[in-house]
Amino acid sequence: MVHRIHLIAQWFFLRLEALFNFAFGERLNPLYYLGAISWFLMWIVVGSGLYLYAFFRTSVGDAYASVEYLTRGQPYVGGVLRSLHRYASDGVVLTMLLHMARHWSFDRYRGFHWFSWFTGVALLWLVYTAGINGYMLPWDRMAQFVTIATAEWLDWLPVFGGTLIRNFIFPEAVSDRLFSLLSFIHIGVPLVVLAVLWVHTQRVPHARTHPPLAVGATLLAALVALSLAKPALSQGEAELARAVTTLRFDWFFLPLYALLYRWSPGDVWLLAGGATLLLLLAPWLPPPRREGPREGFHMLVRPDNRILPLREGETILDAGLRAGVPLPFDCRSGGCGKCKARLAYGRVDYGSYQHAMLTEAERAAGKLLLCCATPRSDLEIEYEPQELPGRIPAQVWNATVERLERLAPDVMRVILRLEAGRRIAFYAGQYLNVLLEDGERRSFSFATAPQESERIELHIRRIPGGRYTTRVFERMQPGDAVRFEGPLGSFILREDSEKPIIFVAGATGFAPVKSMLEHAFARGLRRRMILYWGVRKLRDLYLAELPRQWAREHANFSFVPVLSEPEQGWGGRTGLVHEAILADFPDLSGHQVYACGSAGMVEAAYPALQAHGLRPDECFSDAFRLAPRIRGERTELARLGGGP
Amino acid sequence: MSALRVLLQLALYLPLVALIGWFSSHPEFRVLPEGEALLRVSIVHATQRLRPCRERSPEELAKLAPNMRAALDCPRERAPLALELELDGAVALRREVPPAGLRRDGAAALYHRMTVPAGAHRVVARLRERAGPGFDFEREVALELAPGASLVIDFNAAQGGFLFKG
Repeated sequence: MVHRIHLIAQWFFLRLEALFNFAFGERLNPLYYLGAISWFLMWIVVGSGLYLYAFFRTSVGDAYASVEYLTRGQPYVGGVLRSLHRYASDGVVLTMLLHMARHWSFDRYRGFHWFSWFTGVALLWLVYTAGINGYMLPWDRMAQFVTIATAEWLDWLPVFGGTLIRNFIFPEAVSDRLFSLLSFIHIGVPLVVLAVLWVHTQRVPHARTHPPLAVGATLLAALVALSLAKPALSQGEAELARAVTTLRFDWFFLPLYALLYRWSPGDVWLLAGGATLLLLLAPWLPPPRREGPREGFHMLVRPDNRILPLREGETILDAGLRAGVPLPFDCRSGGCGKCKARLAYGRVDYGSYQHAMLTEAERAAGKLLLCCATPRSDLEIEYEPQELPGRIPAQVWNATVERLERLAPDVMRVILRLEAGRRIAFYAGQYLNVLLEDGERRSFSFATAPQESERIELHIRRIPGGRYTTRVFERMQPGDAVRFEGPLGSFILREDSEKPIIFVAGATGFAPVKSMLEHAFARGLRRRMILYWGVRKLRDLYLAELPRQWAREHANFSFVPVLSEPEQGWGGRTGLVHEAILADFPDLSGHQVYACGSAGMVEAAYPALQAHGLRPDECFSDAFRLAPRIRGERTELARLGGGP
Repeated sequence: MSALRVLLQLALYLPLVALIGWFSSHPEFRVLPEGEALLRVSIVHATQRLRPCRERSPEELAKLAPNMRAALDCPRERAPLALELELDGAVALRREVPPAGLRRDGAAALYHRMTVPAGAHRVVARLRERAGPGFDFEREVALELAPGASLVIDFNAAQGGFLFKG
């Protein structure tokens, strides 16, 4: 039954949104920004309220007169702002209710969404409290009605039992202090609203808290026009000795107050309390969700090559954004198509969306909308990156070779200097693509910290028969020109954690690790950091003295070289690098791992490390050939890539 | 942007703004039916104690701790407050409310709201503040209530009992 209502409501919303799409375009459709518009209107309410408060007099004798002065004495400022205050408040109620209805209709209120839903219900009460309280301040007939009705409603509760009303039915009982109290509440409650709004949006990664400029500007203009055309007016000064008979009523804020005098206060409490309870419990009420495994699903995201956990009921977009993957998105409502991506493996619930944004043919070709699709199994997703971490744009650079230095028989250090003294901004761990004459590319990691942006250091390993690396080793000279594009990649040092870091480097995988470590030392990071550098023979540790020096200089750093084919006399660690890590750290649940090296090394290390507690979202790798290889592995994670 | 789209945007925005503008003040709400007046009873009154104070015997006093040896034993519980309101010869309200507090030793509070047709009325208010039958206070007034008038019936024993404010 509920599911059927969901479907009907979805149909209604999608048709309405399609109509708005036609008029406004997908990117400026106000229906896609209902939550953000509520925020925006709230700011209008706060801003206009501050001005009104500057002129408001908190006394019985002056409250009405001061609001009248605002309305009639300065109609184009105070009057408009008073009206704007009223209409924006009504707008908050309208957009909040629509926002809530949409999330309910699209089943985005259960599972981990319960927290946002719960705080949303609290916000509803707070906004109503603030709005109703606001109607008490002008001390007109409406204020008289709202104040007395509120007291009569609260007096039904045994805790008051008929005592509260005595503060408002006798003219002599209403004093200036009442207005100080009302003003205090009218400032305090909206502050609480803003605080809870902030909490409310924390659960949603990259939640929009402001609509696009064009939408905001149009809304503001529309409300100003309404304020000029139909100013909000007081309804005669309050007279407690006379009953209120007829009122121009605000049906956004006061429908329950109308019921108060058609039903009894107890009935209205039953309705309000029952509705609130129903809303609060809604995330756990039937129909039951289709349950996934208790530990949730996992998702391999390409081209980042990150394996992320997916929570129950979470869209792929939210899961990715929560983990910091720069997935493209805009409307988050299946209306703009910006978050279209490819499902390489797994089953999803495609959700409800505008069909023009994802045609049947596209769906058949494996496309999905990240903002609507939820997982039904482990997934592999491929998306087209729109921007790089930190919004550093990749561009083509011209440089010259400044110096060449052979660090080992098959490793060359190449120092590049950018033309015209330019500097490149990048993140520690990123890489560049050298552009060859025929358009081919060769990828190499930055080996220096971003602070050293004038010169670029690359560690290039000779690949037998490799066209470019052979040129580097045999023909490249200082002064040679090099064109490259960069910075690229999302394998970067994450500084938003205090967990100890284990760096795993294989051969020239030491280059990005060197960049990260030098950056960490320069930044003064106090996290514990251990470098495991795995190579075959001792001569492959081409810069072994450098990490040893770091270990001497930094108490929070240690270095463990691991040789897989040690020579006679080697007294250090031997074997595979991940085996050495596991011997030292049987429990990796409290660590982050940054792995960079051959695909074989990373493929062997990943499942083993995760079997020892390493969280998938704490595991970062630059092994861009991971995904195809992972498919054949017989581990839980390996099946992510598409295995049986 | 085509003219059609601009028109369509206006066609969608105008009803939205009109919706906010209209329902922020319309339709009007009639709080009090036409030709009626408002009559409210609001009383907060500490009634008599249920049992009078009595003097403790020397034996009783001896059983008490030295610091608790008060000569008088005064039970705190008060009697319920009973109110009867007669309007033009008919009982319009009859209610008994208990005193506040866990030990029923606080003041009893009563609030009742009713509407009455405007015009001349004879109102009799009676209040009992002790256990037992009958009433301790009574006041009868003849009133002329205009449409939309508000009458509050209060009670203050120090001021002689019922107060009709309107």
